[in-house]
Amino acid sequence: MKLQKIIFSILAASLVLYGANIAFAQEKMTKEEWEKQIQEYTAKRNDLKAKLDKLDADIKALTAQSASKDADFAKCEAELYALVGATRAEVEAYRAKVNALEGKVTELTRLSNQDLWNRKGEVDGAQTDLNGLRMSKISLLTEFWEKLTSIQQKIDGLKATLAAIANTMERWYTVGTWSRDRDCLWNIAKKKDIYDDPFKWPKIWQSNRDKIRDPDIIQPGWKLKIPPVAPLTKEEKAAANRHYRKKAG
Amino acid sequence: MRHLRRATLPVLVAAFLVGSLLLGGCTRHASEEELKQLNDLKAEVASLEKQIAEREGAKANLEKQIAAKNDKLKWCADEQQAVKQRLQNWK
Repeated sequence: MKLQKIIFSILAASLVLYGANIAFAQEKMTKEEWEKQIQEYTAKRNDLKAKLDKLDADIKALTAQSASKDADFAKCEAELYALVGATRAEVEAYRAKVNALEGKVTELTRLSNQDLWNRKGEVDGAQTDLNGLRMSKISLLTEFWEKLTSIQQKIDGLKATLAAIANTMERWYTVGTWSRDRDCLWNIAKKKDIYDDPFKWPKIWQSNRDKIRDPDIIQPGWKLKIPPVAPLTKEEKAAANRHYRKKAG
Repeated sequence: MRHLRRATLPVLVAAFLVGSLLLGGCTRHASEEELKQLNDLKAEVASLEKQIAEREGAKANLEKQIAAKNDKLKWCADEQQAVKQRLQNWK
């Protein structure tokens, strides 16, 4: 019985030792495995080194190509600016002016009819600025060529709106002095933004009968009603004829 | 006979025990130095792979830049032609 116990104990111990031995052997790499991995990684390293060398050579060539393209572009740009007789700085200054004009015109297009009418002088100013910009050869660069065309279209639109306002809106005109403004009904009717036609002076007279008794006499500071643009009515023509006859007689 | 049986069993067990230990110990394993060599090699490969990924990114970026520069050059040549044409009608 005692012997059996001893045997059993030894057997159990041997099993434990055997298991531990196997586990330890599995954790450690065998020489064959090591050699296999060394070969595998050495081959991989050599391939990668060759690939890296090729990539470095490619990058060097591409960098040189990129620098060459930069030089080509600088040369092409200089030739382009020479065609319009400008330097890069002048083109940039011109761009700033075009952008400012575009901003101004865009602002005008957003105004209500009444506000636009009040600022109609700015439309003429924008047209003058645009004409000035078109005097420069820089305007021939496509960037500006297209932008200036677009601005001109907007200004044309504004002018059409102003003409439509002039045709439909009853406006007011404050009479200036003769010495400074040469204001008389004839000259007022002649103004471009009134009727652009001096023969329409009776229209202003007839619409302001409460103030004007004698059409040859108007006072500085009077606010005259300017009726919409239209041909003279029968009454207006008749009033003008009576006035001419009275003056002649 | 009974004594013989009693003596055999422990001997067998001891033989099994010693045998199992010897069997495990016979396999050749890589030394610490060799394992370090392998680990260094693995680290070198990993570093090379990283460098290659970086270079490939740089190369792709350069190729993209060159394509954009080619477009700019074409634009410039076209622009020169357009300006020359407009200059003919310009007073």
